[in-house]
Amino acid sequence: MSASDCSLKMDLGLLQSQERERVLEVLRRDKQLRTIEENRIRRMKHELQELRRRGAKSYTRQYGERTCARCQRPLGKFWNSGAVCFGCSHRICSRCRVGVGTEDWRCTVCHACREVKFRSGDWFIEMRANKFPVTADKYETTGEKLLQAYSIHSSHISVIPPTPPPHMDQQFLSRLGDFKDSKPFTKSVEDLMVSFTSQIKKISTSQNDVRGDLLSVNSNRRRSHFQYSTQKSLSDTEINKSGHLYHGPSLPNLFKKDSDQEESSTGAEEETSFGSDYSIGKRGSNSSNSTDCGVFESVSVTGELELSLSYNAKNSCLEVTVGAGRNLSYGDPKKKKCHPYVKLCVLPEKSSKLKTAVKKNTTDPIFNEVLKYRIERHLLLGKRLQASVWHSRTLKRKSFLGEVLIPLDGWRFEDKAFQCSNWYPLSLKVKQRGSFIICDQNNIDMGAKDSKRLRLLKKPSSSYSSVKLLNCYSCFIIKLLIRFPSL
Amino acid sequence: MLSHCTTMTDGDYDFLIKLLALGDSGVGKTTFLYRYTDNKFNPKFITTVGIDFREKRVVYTASNGTTTGKTFKVHLQLWDTAGQERFRSLTTAFFRDAMGFLLMFDLTSQQSFLNVRNWMSQLQANAYCENPDIVLVGNKADLADQREVQEKQAKELADKYGIPYFETSAATGVEVDKAVITLLDLVMKRMEQCVDKPPAEPANGNESTKLSDEQPSEKKCAC
Repeated sequence: MSASDCSLKMDLGLLQSQERERVLEVLRRDKQLRTIEENRIRRMKHELQELRRRGAKSYTRQYGERTCARCQRPLGKFWNSGAVCFGCSHRICSRCRVGVGTEDWRCTVCHACREVKFRSGDWFIEMRANKFPVTADKYETTGEKLLQAYSIHSSHISVIPPTPPPHMDQQFLSRLGDFKDSKPFTKSVEDLMVSFTSQIKKISTSQNDVRGDLLSVNSNRRRSHFQYSTQKSLSDTEINKSGHLYHGPSLPNLFKKDSDQEESSTGAEEETSFGSDYSIGKRGSNSSNSTDCGVFESVSVTGELELSLSYNAKNSCLEVTVGAGRNLSYGDPKKKKCHPYVKLCVLPEKSSKLKTAVKKNTTDPIFNEVLKYRIERHLLLGKRLQASVWHSRTLKRKSFLGEVLIPLDGWRFEDKAFQCSNWYPLSLKVKQRGSFIICDQNNIDMGAKDSKRLRLLKKPSSSYSSVKLLNCYSCFIIKLLIRFPSL
Repeated sequence: MLSHCTTMTDGDYDFLIKLLALGDSGVGKTTFLYRYTDNKFNPKFITTVGIDFREKRVVYTASNGTTTGKTFKVHLQLWDTAGQERFRSLTTAFFRDAMGFLLMFDLTSQQSFLNVRNWMSQLQANAYCENPDIVLVGNKADLADQREVQEKQAKELADKYGIPYFETSAATGVEVDKAVITLLDLVMKRMEQCVDKPPAEPANGNESTKLSDEQPSEKKCAC
């Protein structure tokens, strides 16, 4: 393979630089498409895994011949006795069969496997491997190899993170409909505040249905026409956060600064004012995570973070190598200072966090630290690794410089390509406490104006709001980050 | 068959199928693909630098075997290769990643037709298997007065290889869709064969002149 790599490189080398740039441009487009494809496949395989697990015979049940291997329903001796699936040789009841061809059938799991094989293009990769033996662990396209060979030289090629949110949430899209008949966003800030507080009251009255839509309760009270919603795709911690809110007995208490909060944990500088602004004392020493959900000293987020992940099966550790950061924004833009460090969390638990050392006075810090999480391999399913970069400040405050979220399920730790370190672009915090979504383009100015008024109105009590305009799937999303005054 | 998606940047499709157009320089690979994806024609000749690709989402209705009548969203990645000799080693390196091939020649150029044989052997050497799915396409059918390759001739060659043949025109759009869809259909059928055929005798160095027989080499799902 390496010989052919070399020859490929030569090929590009023979081209004029302009031509080469054009080819590389095409390859970058290809890379984007492949990233989408990889995510799609990862999702698909994850679903398959889920299905498999559900269908698996568990140890608690006796492994008898006389139950269906998929649904575990008992099978009779003569009546409904099941039949053996050609794929997995398990005995399957008639309900768990899916027709393949005219007469043939497979059990649900084998069928899903087969589908995944089609849809992921694995059939092709296997075919290809017959002719071109794969030496690397991962199937690589020619384009990929070429791009890799050249991206070393040109630094401006950014590595696309493994999971950009690939599609808009269904929930979100369906909600767009609701806006059609909603009146323009012209409500005053008082209304906004009232309905926001009513939201919280509502939430605190119904603790049981935490999941899902509760976070996007549509408040029709007092004719306020915005929705308090959270983006579901990012809502793991959001739910946790809201979960904290439910414990709050009443609103004033909710925002009361809790003195318990200021406990001395590993990073005194971590327990910052943001966290204590809404914390309610129920959390233990993990409370510094609460800063994740708040408003930050929002410096603009730029730069990238180099990470590599591996799983050490021997001592069941997830090993995250934090390589370096580059092009970080200044944590203190005025003084042009930056003392960055990286914090790792496995979401949604947030049970333990790991931090690197603080690097002084640099926006291109080199960490080269291996941080280890003790976690069983199978527990990684459904987890996400959150790597956030923070600027450490002397006066107990830290500022957020950006974060990377990496889903750990579907992460192929055995795969060489997944093991090598990648540069991930840092992104903004995606977990706001609330966001107001306005779909009508014309209303944006209004929204912005209103939020300005919000700031003005509330200035005496040191409230703070900021408006972010995001052009997202041609909808405009205005996010108002509201921080309540500490009482 | 067409479906218009507002965004092409999401993963909301069922299959990603990669096809590749190859053939001599100037036979109209780029315009052919442009006609297919955008339904437009650009008469200017702009030589392709190395490689390029175009994308299109289509809805594929299964016509065979197990899933007859089902529809799938297919994201087509259509690789366009430079016909020029100097890009040859680069373009052939991309053959191995394509699932199906549009082998094109120019109906107004006998030489481009004669070269089909060479392209065929290039494919055998560089494609993912010895007998990939190929559609032979004679382009520029609208230029009837300049025609040098007769339909019968081309049909015979296609039959010899056991592949479908289409006379298309990127200028008028005639048969363009059909050629691509036929190829897509072949690839989709191949896919099913690959997965469903039980592991037959190991694929050995078979004589590769006959391109129509499939080469089952896929194991069944083992779960």
